[in-house]
Amino acid sequence: MLGLLGIDERRLRLTWISASEGAMFADAISSFVNLLKELGDHPLKESDVSLDVDPSLEKRSEIAFPLSTDQTDYCMECSICTGTCPVSRELPEFAPKQFIKRAVMKLDEDLIRSREIWSCLSCGHCSVRCPAMIDFPEFNRILREKARKVNNLPVESHHGIQQHVSRLQTRCHKQNRTAWAEQVGEFQDSGDYFYFVGCLPYFDITFRYLDLAPLNSAKSVLRLLNRMDITPVISNDECCCGHDALWSGDQATFLTLARQNLEVIKASGAKYVLFSCPEGYATFKNHYPKFFGKLPFTVIYMTAFLEQQIKHHPLSLRPSADNTVTFQDPCRLGRLSGDYESPRKLLKQIPNINLVEMERSRENALCCGTSAWMACTGCSKAIQTQRLHEAAETGADTLITACPKCRIHLSCAQSGTDMELEIKDIYTYIDSHIK
Amino acid sequence: MDNTFSISKEPKIVAFVCHWCAYAGADLAGVSRIQYPPNVRLIRLMCTGRLQPGFLLNAFEQGADGIMVSG
Repeated sequence: MLGLLGIDERRLRLTWISASEGAMFADAISSFVNLLKELGDHPLKESDVSLDVDPSLEKRSEIAFPLSTDQTDYCMECSICTGTCPVSRELPEFAPKQFIKRAVMKLDEDLIRSREIWSCLSCGHCSVRCPAMIDFPEFNRILREKARKVNNLPVESHHGIQQHVSRLQTRCHKQNRTAWAEQVGEFQDSGDYFYFVGCLPYFDITFRYLDLAPLNSAKSVLRLLNRMDITPVISNDECCCGHDALWSGDQATFLTLARQNLEVIKASGAKYVLFSCPEGYATFKNHYPKFFGKLPFTVIYMTAFLEQQIKHHPLSLRPSADNTVTFQDPCRLGRLSGDYESPRKLLKQIPNINLVEMERSRENALCCGTSAWMACTGCSKAIQTQRLHEAAETGADTLITACPKCRIHLSCAQSGTDMELEIKDIYTYIDSHIK
Repeated sequence: MDNTFSISKEPKIVAFVCHWCAYAGADLAGVSRIQYPPNVRLIRLMCTGRLQPGFLLNAFEQGADGIMVSG
């Protein structure tokens, strides 16, 4: 992990010193100090995150407050939001309608200090159904920004490791994140297509214990692109898209990361930026323009891109072994970005594939239970188990997702059950069917 | 104290030490008056098994130049 972040691994030292080895302790410290003097300056840049927030941007997010008075007046108290919310079903004290009503009654302060604002999955179940078109996830996101200012913080999953990684990426001199690609295929430093790999190299280390190898997804994407005669740009200077920071109310980190990414992409001269992670895609598509205006490139989700390219560069795919597969719609790709069809069309390129739908699919698809690496609770596990049961009920033996986080969350939930679904990533699945 | 560090440009070390081993070792070094550089700040854990990977990243984030984990 330190190597990926560009921190010399010698800066972390493990030693065994017993209670009787005072002299050894003194020696260990002396030699470590000498080594650190040799290695030189601090491994990270000075943090400029807090200074870096342009006040005009902060202001803009206030202007973009999604819940205007007019809109709240339109709230018909129909409770469709609460009724449809997968979290409310498990945690009755969490009710989106109550939030809206509390906000209208100007009990803002009380709302900002409440724990419930961290329970929302921002999955968009409520907002796609709301007759007044209230964007509840966005409304809640802004509450989180305010909550953070009064020190109401989320409980971070995995001891906050991903949050540290995001913040450290704002201060890295040079990451070492493209090493995987060198053995896999061809990529370049500048060109028309930028492949935004996202957090996969980091997930590969953090979630090693689940034995999922999330980076294989990126390897498959690179192989597929190369097969279609595309040599994408993959950059060492790319950093986290800021999705998690954004949705956990840490706007300063989000803006710093976003600004770095925009500079890196601009420097590569790319016209198209391709994403294999729906979170990166949704963040670039929906939130970057909100803060930085129109982007100087087009963002395309990888399944849509591959599906379009396959017409010109047919992949020779071997027929599916006689298994049945079902598809989990990631909320960032489906409800938040409106793309339900492209992953299905791509999967149907495999001859003889038997793609079956779960009881709730497309805009009704159940979320994978956790978002932005926080608030992973019994509620998350209940949602994940429900989803796994739904998948098993279709008779499918393989559950395919287009989002690395859905795959991690559902696999983690499955490890505590006796279910034996194969939970696979769409790119690895397609790649494994190439003749 | 942080100011002293930044002026002298001395490397800062955070050491996560086990209460029963390295912490007692450091204590012994002190009692025996063994001289060692003052660059280290000890964080005592009841067992180094308490350590989470996030602690290490956090220490770097907070400005540590090096981290020593000692059990």
